Amino acid sequence: MNPDDNIYLPRIAVVDRVSDEIPEVKTFYWHFEDDADQQAFRKFRPGQFAQVSIFGVGEFPASLPPSPTEDETFFTVRSVGSCTAALHQLKPGDKFGVRGPYGNGFPMEEYYGRSLVFVAGGIGLIPLRSCIVYALKNREKYDRILVFYGARSPRELMYLPSLREWERSAGIECRLTVDRKGPEDEWEGNIGVVGSLFKIPGTNIPVDNTIAFVCGPPVMFRFVIRDLLGLGFREQDIVSTLERYMKCGVGKCGHCCIGVAYVCTQGPVFTYEQIRNLGEDI
Amino acid sequence: MKARILDRRDVLKIVDLLKRQGYEVIAPFRGRGRDTFFDTVSDENRERIELHLPNPYYPPKRYVLPHIEPLLNAHSGNGGIRIQPTFDDPKRAIFGIRSCDVAGIYHLDRFYIGREFRDTYYERRRKNLFLVNMVCTDPGEDINRECFCMCADTGPASRDHFDMQLMDLGDEFMAVAGTARGEALFDDPIFTRGGEGHLKRRAEILNGVRSHFKNTTRSWFSAAVRQITQGTVLEKTWEEVGDRCLECGGCTYVCPACTCFTVSDRKVAPGEVERVRVWDSCALLGFTRMAGGHNPRRAVHDRRNRRFFRKLEHHFIERELSMACVGCGRCAAVCHGDVGMPSVVEMIRRATMETDNNES
Repeated sequence: MNPDDNIYLPRIAVVDRVSDEIPEVKTFYWHFEDDADQQAFRKFRPGQFAQVSIFGVGEFPASLPPSPTEDETFFTVRSVGSCTAALHQLKPGDKFGVRGPYGNGFPMEEYYGRSLVFVAGGIGLIPLRSCIVYALKNREKYDRILVFYGARSPRELMYLPSLREWERSAGIECRLTVDRKGPEDEWEGNIGVVGSLFKIPGTNIPVDNTIAFVCGPPVMFRFVIRDLLGLGFREQDIVSTLERYMKCGVGKCGHCCIGVAYVCTQGPVFTYEQIRNLGEDI
Repeated sequence: MKARILDRRDVLKIVDLLKRQGYEVIAPFRGRGRDTFFDTVSDENRERIELHLPNPYYPPKRYVLPHIEPLLNAHSGNGGIRIQPTFDDPKRAIFGIRSCDVAGIYHLDRFYIGREFRDTYYERRRKNLFLVNMVCTDPGEDINRECFCMCADTGPASRDHFDMQLMDLGDEFMAVAGTARGEALFDDPIFTRGGEGHLKRRAEILNGVRSHFKNTTRSWFSAAVRQITQGTVLEKTWEEVGDRCLECGGCTYVCPACTCFTVSDRKVAPGEVERVRVWDSCALLGFTRMAGGHNPRRAVHDRRNRRFFRKLEHHFIERELSMACVGCGRCAAVCHGDVGMPSVVEMIRRATMETDNNES
């Protein structure tokens, strides 16, 4: 963004299509009405976020699940509050507002030459999807790429077509698990929390020269961190994104400030070492 | 900085000069009892402007950061949405703003336009704001029990960040220009050159005024900054602060240096939505509550801790090159639980003394 721009002014975006992801979660493919905005926005980094405006309801921060290497821009959003519920009402052709991209994002270039371990729970896969797709697009830059993903039930696995593709691909080791399966669920895979995947015989997780990405609900986060530290990961080699109530996204409104850090401008990506020192729960 | 002398009877002519230049002039007035307030000067109330009076509880911050401020209008129609930013940035002058409040506005400057992501709305309004600072020299009227500008290093006389500063020397006033547009006013014949005697009188008055401030906060403020930065304030001290906090948000509402806001959309006409920002308070439970109900800062003492941390932690002071507490004492005056800034500094001091005594 131009430094002289009005930082609170959203640009108009148009919904292209909507797809149901899992219950309560939809993916909205969209583009900016003005192509100049689209070109400027497309320079985002994995892990950044945008402020989404539904005029008359409000504005909320949303992760960017697409990789900058992809052509389409989209949000995957769970209907959980008034703004996200209003977004869920939008149909193709409807207009809304977008500001961004904001935040630091994952420093994917710094990780060149290293192995990447992605650990996600539930909709925690949304911000990590961007990194995974980005890493696969730049496959030769990284050593091993592993994805461990858990959901509450088979019906709540996000981005299922991508997951199935990653399971089959040679360049990526993808392991899935669900907390439980219902009688009508077809599920042959592992049952248990995401950390249980680490203990399956034959699972070989690199630790040296490796970055672990962890995103998921607070309880999953705590257990996975314990498991990773147990495997020998250093605190500075575990990265995550923090979620906070935000109004501006540009370090002004004050809601997301933890300790001395504004999650919107200095985050949302932090190492576990930084998160621990901020002194507040994720 | 240039200084001039003017006759006591000519002081309000500065208001007239500013009005002639097209400024809406804001000045302090006295209501009933302790109540004092800032209001727009008109022909009707000009004579009632007070030069010495207790600083109004409701700070002049609202003239640069209104408590409710429209940001934009979104018009829907014909299948499109049109967004129009809404600016309200009249030429305004605050006549008689105190040194603590000048420091408050400087802090807002550093916060809103001193770093990346400059706030257009604030910047436009600030550019049109003219500050006439009045030095607090009357111990009976200007200085309250709660004042601690000397500890925050903001008063009783601002050193910078005003356009013009006025100081009461008795029959005369000394005017100091802080900016070129302040100095331009000196062209008017009410201003005359002063002499050594005036400077001596100024120094005498300031020295005398300084002795009217309480000492405890002064000597412990920097220690509180250090302890909060190092994280050595005891958890039990924060819990005590939390126990006494009634979560009314009053301290943040009267604070001249608080910056937090929330944003809300309201429908103003069919197909037309106005987006406004509204002052918000870290004392309130909903401040960090996310959609879905998760709240990472649930305990009241975490929230109280937050306010003092944000104001005194060294990283913030370094980042903004200005402290988010200017020593006006308003939080102490309005707090029902007596956990305004001076009291909290005192609680930190007491807890430290007790710990030291137990250790020795």
